[in-house]
Amino acid sequence: MFWKVRLPLLLTALVGLVPIVTFFLTDRVPLIGPAVPFVRDRVERYMIIIAGFALLLGVVNVLQGNLRRIERRLPGWPFAISLLAGLLVMGVFGILSAFRVGPFQGLLATPDGRATPFYWMTIHMFNPLQAAMFSLLAFYIASAAFRSFRVRNVEATILLTAAFVVMLGRTPLGEYVLAWIPGGERWVPRLTDWIMAVPNTAAQRGVIIGAALGAASLSLRVILGIERSYLGLKGE
Amino acid sequence: MGLERLLQIDRRILYLLIALGTLIPILLPIGFPVSTTRPTERFFEKIESLGPDDVVLASFDYGPTTAPENAPMAEAILRHCFTRRIKVVVIALFPLGGVTMAGQELDLIRAEYPALREGEDYAFLGYKDGAQAAMKQMGVDFAAVFPADHAGRPLGELPLMTRVRNYDDIALIVSLSTNVIAEYWVNLVNAQFRTPVAVGATAVSAPKYYAYLDAGQMLGLLGGVKGASEYERLLLDGYPELRPMYRKPGVYNAMKGMDAQTIDHAIIMLFILLGNVAFFQMRRRAGRGGDASGGAART
Repeated sequence: MFWKVRLPLLLTALVGLVPIVTFFLTDRVPLIGPAVPFVRDRVERYMIIIAGFALLLGVVNVLQGNLRRIERRLPGWPFAISLLAGLLVMGVFGILSAFRVGPFQGLLATPDGRATPFYWMTIHMFNPLQAAMFSLLAFYIASAAFRSFRVRNVEATILLTAAFVVMLGRTPLGEYVLAWIPGGERWVPRLTDWIMAVPNTAAQRGVIIGAALGAASLSLRVILGIERSYLGLKGE
Repeated sequence: MGLERLLQIDRRILYLLIALGTLIPILLPIGFPVSTTRPTERFFEKIESLGPDDVVLASFDYGPTTAPENAPMAEAILRHCFTRRIKVVVIALFPLGGVTMAGQELDLIRAEYPALREGEDYAFLGYKDGAQAAMKQMGVDFAAVFPADHAGRPLGELPLMTRVRNYDDIALIVSLSTNVIAEYWVNLVNAQFRTPVAVGATAVSAPKYYAYLDAGQMLGLLGGVKGASEYERLLLDGYPELRPMYRKPGVYNAMKGMDAQTIDHAIIMLFILLGNVAFFQMRRRAGRGGDASGGAART
């Protein structure tokens, strides 16, 4: 009970409280003052190291999931082999390059301009693959917009009108459509700016404040030990 | 039937039109005029107000996925800084390719400014994981987060970094961002350390930054290819000697990207318009309560 529940809860509360408390304290506070920057800096440095372990956790997760897929010959298992091969090759070359072992001198180009093996793979394999994946979005968005943007009701009409104005205003087309009216070339860009600066900002502000309040309340629940699902404890 | 058949159009035709609308303007630039907006002008004016004694922190918080939007911003801002002899400290906080993006952009721009000296005019500190934690610690001491630069040289050996201890020595933070990291720069670093922050965001994430811009937590914003092209125009208007760098054949820039975006937006808007006309025709024919879905679900 102590090792699995109380100690993690205590550590979480302590680590969670340090950034909050030290934000409001300075080193001029009597008695504990000199310890404030020391504790704050230590915890912040540990946070950077812990964040690195989150990446490691991701790697373990990918390994487990894909090894299971290959083992059980689940649909798409050959792709899992390709994914693991990529992870292994890039991972090994990346680690060797980061620690500058043998010919693997650095993650980027060498001072004389030659690409290290890791950099070469990044430029010629990783980057184009990533870019290709993301570029597919343009096609899907175009097709989805054509098939889904219909003037069905008032809300859809408002959304479509706003989208139309912003799409026009974000290109030089916005200046051409009303150019036949004296001064009309600025109307669409101005309306676009207004949509972005007023209704959009109001909505975004609502989302940001809502999300911040949610994050603050969840953080408090974690620090106070009310929220324990991250320990794998459900309803305890 | 007429337009109603349009609703059943093979999606591959639309894909082909979008592909052509993207490829042709990039290969054969049209040169649509670019008008500027206030968020971009404020960004540009801030860098205009800086000089050789100032240091800009450029954080590469994007990867290859959004490079067509973010890379032209990075290039224009680096050119602007180096032309004005402003010192630049480059870092990368995005794990999926941020450091290679930074390296590539620095290599490209460095070749255009042969007089630049690494460690004196600019410093490239590389990548650090744990964005928020790294940002907070840089407020105390850069060397605690980046003990050495990307080439392994201790920070103490770089003349520029002996002048830069924490955010107090930074005149402006520029985050070129594809995701939430720019938001951390705004609501963590600007809020706690008061260092001015300007953001170059992708078009899809730009709307959320208007709230920070309006609140004064951000002093400038470049939204997607449009924002990048606006910055390029301001840069070329202010520094005509940089024009050859933007006229090189075969080199992508945001003004070429803007041509492609204009054509693609026109294609999408035309199809949405025709789709709605066809939808109304179908609805009129089907009468109230009839089926006029027009194949809305498939994408």
